[in-house]
Amino acid sequence: MEVELLLPPRGMVKLEELPSWLDRGRPAPCFHASAISACADLSLRIMRDQEARRYPELLALAFWIRKAEIHRLKKEFSLLSRPDRILVPRGTVFHLPPRNVDTMFVYSWLLSALAGNRNVIRLSPQRSASTNLLLRLFGEALETAAEPARSSTLVVCYGHEDAPTMALTSLCDVRVIWGGDDTVASIRRSVLPPHARELTFPDRYSMAAFRVASYLRLSEKEREQLADRFFKDAFWFDQLGCSSPRLVLWCGDAPSAHGASADFFPRVAACVRRRGYALAAGRSMQKLVFSASAVLDLPVNSCRRWPELTVLTLDSLSGFDRVHPGGGLFFEANLRCIAELASALRRKDQTLTSFGFDDEELRAFIQLLNGRAIDRIVPIGQALQFGRFWDGNDLLIEFCRQIYFDNLPARPAA
Amino acid sequence: MTVDELLQKAQYSIPQSEKETALLAELRSLDRYHRERCADYARVASILFPGHDDPASPADLPYLPVGLFKKRVLSSVPPSEIFRVLRSSGTSGQSPSQVVLDLETAQLQTRALSRIMTHVLGPRRLPMILVEQADLVKDRRTFNARTAGLLGMMNFGRNHLYALDSELNPRTSELKEFLKEHGKRPFLIFGFTFLVWTRFYRQLASVGLDLSNGILVHSGGWKNLQDQSVTASDFRAAFRGTTGLTRIYNFYGMVEQVGSIFLEGEDGYFYPPNFADVIVRDPHTLEEVPHGQTGVIEVVSVLPRSYPGQCLLTEDLGAVYAVDSPACGRMGKAFSVLGRIPHAELRGCSDVIAAQVN
Repeated sequence: MEVELLLPPRGMVKLEELPSWLDRGRPAPCFHASAISACADLSLRIMRDQEARRYPELLALAFWIRKAEIHRLKKEFSLLSRPDRILVPRGTVFHLPPRNVDTMFVYSWLLSALAGNRNVIRLSPQRSASTNLLLRLFGEALETAAEPARSSTLVVCYGHEDAPTMALTSLCDVRVIWGGDDTVASIRRSVLPPHARELTFPDRYSMAAFRVASYLRLSEKEREQLADRFFKDAFWFDQLGCSSPRLVLWCGDAPSAHGASADFFPRVAACVRRRGYALAAGRSMQKLVFSASAVLDLPVNSCRRWPELTVLTLDSLSGFDRVHPGGGLFFEANLRCIAELASALRRKDQTLTSFGFDDEELRAFIQLLNGRAIDRIVPIGQALQFGRFWDGNDLLIEFCRQIYFDNLPARPAA
Repeated sequence: MTVDELLQKAQYSIPQSEKETALLAELRSLDRYHRERCADYARVASILFPGHDDPASPADLPYLPVGLFKKRVLSSVPPSEIFRVLRSSGTSGQSPSQVVLDLETAQLQTRALSRIMTHVLGPRRLPMILVEQADLVKDRRTFNARTAGLLGMMNFGRNHLYALDSELNPRTSELKEFLKEHGKRPFLIFGFTFLVWTRFYRQLASVGLDLSNGILVHSGGWKNLQDQSVTASDFRAAFRGTTGLTRIYNFYGMVEQVGSIFLEGEDGYFYPPNFADVIVRDPHTLEEVPHGQTGVIEVVSVLPRSYPGQCLLTEDLGAVYAVDSPACGRMGKAFSVLGRIPHAELRGCSDVIAAQVN
């Protein structure tokens, strides 16, 4: 069987040839200059490309991998050092990014490449225009990069066949699966080598919480800005990103919560209009069918609708199943305080974007959950901002082996 | 005007404003009727359409998205009164719509179809060619929309001939036989659009049948054959050119709404009968769009009694072209159907893609 080799662009290659392609590259030391330059170069290429500039998610990526940021990451990495531990790359990392978040393959690659690993990225044959654009810029950046970064990344393309996944899995030290629960299950049919490990980023659900009292203290202008940040969180990726907020929680007394919501969502609707967000007609219809079913299946007591924005108010979170159509539909609920949310949360719940809470309140909330749910709490506006800490992992560490080192003279056992 | 009067009065004869007044009164009482008898409808209507309890025009009434019938069985009658459950054929992987009929609603449906068909066929039954397999209706337990439509139409014909064999190939010699016997006087041909085109017209184009006395009624659109679809005028021209068939009537309708049977006029537009109507809405604002503008079609009918199907938002795109235009001698709205709302690409990191592939 053959797969298409996209980077380096060599067309169809046999599965048996993949190991030799992989062996043209070699792992580098962590934060090798060639990898740092390749990242910074890609960032510049995106920012300078007329077409790429039209995609906000590509600009966000460019911003995140810019030179200053990579150096900041390098500094964070150096803080991880301790005398008895040496961090080295794991070897070869096999990335299976989600097709539907165009930029994800670069985020996944970046931390692994900085850690010094060789990388194989699988892309689907059906790619969006922005993915192809990013792929071109990525290829240009690698082509001009120094070794070992230049030859240590392969991008392959195939459908949902098991054979290439099995072949590449057998060659890897780490496998990274981004995608839904079904994707994870189907890729797991390919068994990992005994020493290899796997990182999975399955279906997640995310929400936003507002402390009502804090919201009501905001000025007109601040409310506008907050709505705009919330808009970005929710509407980029059509509200289908795993960290896109889908449920909104108003923490405070009921009349104030009602007032805050009545003030906030019209502002979000205005952002939708101002920024010209338009959903395909078919998705609008799906949302309407979804809303009607939700009214019958859940304790929904009201539905407010604006073009491309639907808000369904829940009496309670009991039985809330986290099924969601995306495309600008929000459930909302009123809680007296954030701690009340804990009992309704599940492992699937990933990001809580928050506004107006004290540090103490949120820390106490995390302790209360004790790892049962929520991997990330960030301010409104940063829901989609990728980072080294993701889904409960520190990716800088995950992509490294930790070599224990002790060169002191032998001591008698304690 | 009562429902009876709307049915009895000559079809397509009521000016739009008069018709809307009559429909509004009837729809308002149907809305109340179903709110009282179907708790699910009452809940959706009151929550999705707050403040719509005193509508001033048919467009102000609550409507259900047709997709809801794939998820729920909505009924306004006790189970003992259910006479028949209609199921849509449904594309693969989707659950079919289910629509509950009691005897009264089923009879209204039959009367409605008869009022419309006799308008073009005249009062007498005609010899009839069914562009279907003979074995389609043998199993009456699988009563899907295709079967229901076929059985409904069979009432307007006699000496029925199934034009296709079990492999969906035309039964050419039987057809020739039929035409020898009945081809000199008006006869009826009925079938689903894509079958009529792919299995009947295309296969028979070279055989040289004379269908000039035929009246073809077809419906159902192109479904999964969008890539093979032809325009209405190509369709007409092809039949006229090779078979002499000129009287062709497409009709638009759906299993989810009893009474919405929209027959094509001679001008190629669809016309609602007296007891039904269409409203075209913007897919984003859901407001009614001005005539001439494309939007999502809402179908309205005063016939559904056993389930709350009087106002349904379809998943079809269309536009109203004229109102009370005497060009083809019909009053009311002239509209076109422009196909399904295209299925949109999804983004995000959930499993939508795997679901599409598997």
